[in-house]
Amino acid sequence: MNETLKRIVDHVIAGRIPSVQEAVRTALDEGEEPESILHEALIRAMTEVGQLYEDGEYFVPEMLAAAQAMKTGLNELRPLLGDAEMEAAGRVVTGTVKGDLHDIGKNLVTMMLEGAGFNVVDMGTDVSPDEFVEAVQSHDAKLVGMSALLTTTMEAMESTIKTLREAGLGDTVKVMVGGAPLTAAYAAEIGADGYAPDANQAVKLAKKLIG
Amino acid sequence: MHVSSVYALRQHLGLDEPGEPVKVTNIYQMLGEIRPDLAEALGVDVIPLPRPKNSFGIDNRDRKEWTTPNGTPVLVPGGFNTDPEPDGYILMYPQGDTEAAPSGRMPNGGYYFDAIERQPPLDDEALKVEDNLEEFGPLSEEELDFYRREAERLYTETDMAIVANMGGTGFGDVAHVPGVQLKDPQGIRSVEEWYLSLVKRPDFVRELFERQCATALNNLERFHEAIGDRVVALFVSGTDFGGQENLLIAPRTYRELFKPFHRRINDWIHEHTSWKSFMHTDGSVSRLLPDFVEAGFDILNPVQWTAKGMNPTELKERFGAEFTFWGAGIDTQKTLPFGTPDEIREEVRRQIETFGPGGGFVFASVHNVQAEVPVENLLALFEAFRAYGRYPLGDL
Repeated sequence: MNETLKRIVDHVIAGRIPSVQEAVRTALDEGEEPESILHEALIRAMTEVGQLYEDGEYFVPEMLAAAQAMKTGLNELRPLLGDAEMEAAGRVVTGTVKGDLHDIGKNLVTMMLEGAGFNVVDMGTDVSPDEFVEAVQSHDAKLVGMSALLTTTMEAMESTIKTLREAGLGDTVKVMVGGAPLTAAYAAEIGADGYAPDANQAVKLAKKLIG
Repeated sequence: MHVSSVYALRQHLGLDEPGEPVKVTNIYQMLGEIRPDLAEALGVDVIPLPRPKNSFGIDNRDRKEWTTPNGTPVLVPGGFNTDPEPDGYILMYPQGDTEAAPSGRMPNGGYYFDAIERQPPLDDEALKVEDNLEEFGPLSEEELDFYRREAERLYTETDMAIVANMGGTGFGDVAHVPGVQLKDPQGIRSVEEWYLSLVKRPDFVRELFERQCATALNNLERFHEAIGDRVVALFVSGTDFGGQENLLIAPRTYRELFKPFHRRINDWIHEHTSWKSFMHTDGSVSRLLPDFVEAGFDILNPVQWTAKGMNPTELKERFGAEFTFWGAGIDTQKTLPFGTPDEIREEVRRQIETFGPGGGFVFASVHNVQAEVPVENLLALFEAFRAYGRYPLGDL
């Protein structure tokens, strides 16, 4: 890997936004393909960030900083990347379920998914089952990521899965869930395809489900 | 405990006529008042020192009736906005001022409020610590008088242990960062930007904490003059350092930015008062427990033993001599709302058996009892506590 790409990786890992922007521009000036900057520098850096989280070196602030830096780099490349490249890893719809406004975890998952190259449609908070269905249909998403923090709202996940099935999307879209009161057992019980306890594992799960 | 669960209990125990509203003591989390009759029925012997204003800066002293979206009759402060928006959301305004931008919202059919973030555009060149200090001013004489009277009243009228919270002694609590009581908050006000600031602007955060700490130490002295040693513990910090699976921030971040200020507050308390220092942090925090001990905290709450690395037996063995565990009694994410009464009784017995021996345990649920908990589950919780929660612990 050339020096500039290495620098991009280091800057993303350290969350240095202006430096990432500058290094991405330099790499383009040096004739580097946008696709290789994306994969060999930006996505690769976020994979390392995920590893640092798993190793207990990185925590929420460091992940947020890296994800922001990655996004800055991605925005530089976006106009230059072909549609096929932008869609390569698949489209994901994320949101917190009906009645739940707690979105810190969902935002982190969204950023880490984007960091891994997924095209994410973030529906925000308090997303009703019908809104999830509409988003999946209009964006042709392959995966839904639902989040709930509350014992009083987690039941909305089950109704959302039911609504997705009733809309005939049961076979075309996978569902992953997360949030403080959730467990793998509960996810299985309500018919989700997977459960992730944190943002890093959400990325791994997404890759397994639709990657 | 959520006000709807308090209402359900009061009704079931025949303490009130049907429809009798329950006072909301914390409007952000919509917690219901545990009055002496309910406390006695449940075996509760701790009471919080009331505060003159709630987290939205709305005066707590005048009250009006309201019915929550799930149909619970409640008493809320006069400045509490009860008019739903067209989409069914209830908005809350800082200091009850509907001319200001709303700072909190309860979703249609929801149970409590969440902050509406009002992050002004950030320019690092122009960022001043004063912007994030607006809410950390000196206590007014009026507030001190209120605390003095309330502490005296509770101390003479009840036999309960009083816990106080004067605000401003905890640092960097993301529940407070949005400044929901402020009409036009400046500085860093979004939770995401706050977390980022811990790694991107550590000098700013340190200076902010330095200034906040100086004000808090001043307030502590005056607060202590007002209420004396009538309270057993001071709620010092409510900042969450753990999530379900892991710490939220790195141990080095805690040690460099938070710990020195915790230490200063706790040292002052121990030098000048008989109070114990109370710390609340959710989640998986076992890696930081030795630091919390060194920082001078006496009480750890809510002891979320279902989080990763928080094994109850290990916690008691390793930290039982240092901490009073306040919480741990029943899991509120799964067992209490969704378990059977037998499962609840068994968990209560087991937790008392683990944390009770040798003292240093205040039985409480892990975090607030949420809404929509079956009343038979609540009764099982308190029955089991009454059955097992007395010293000598005997044969559990």
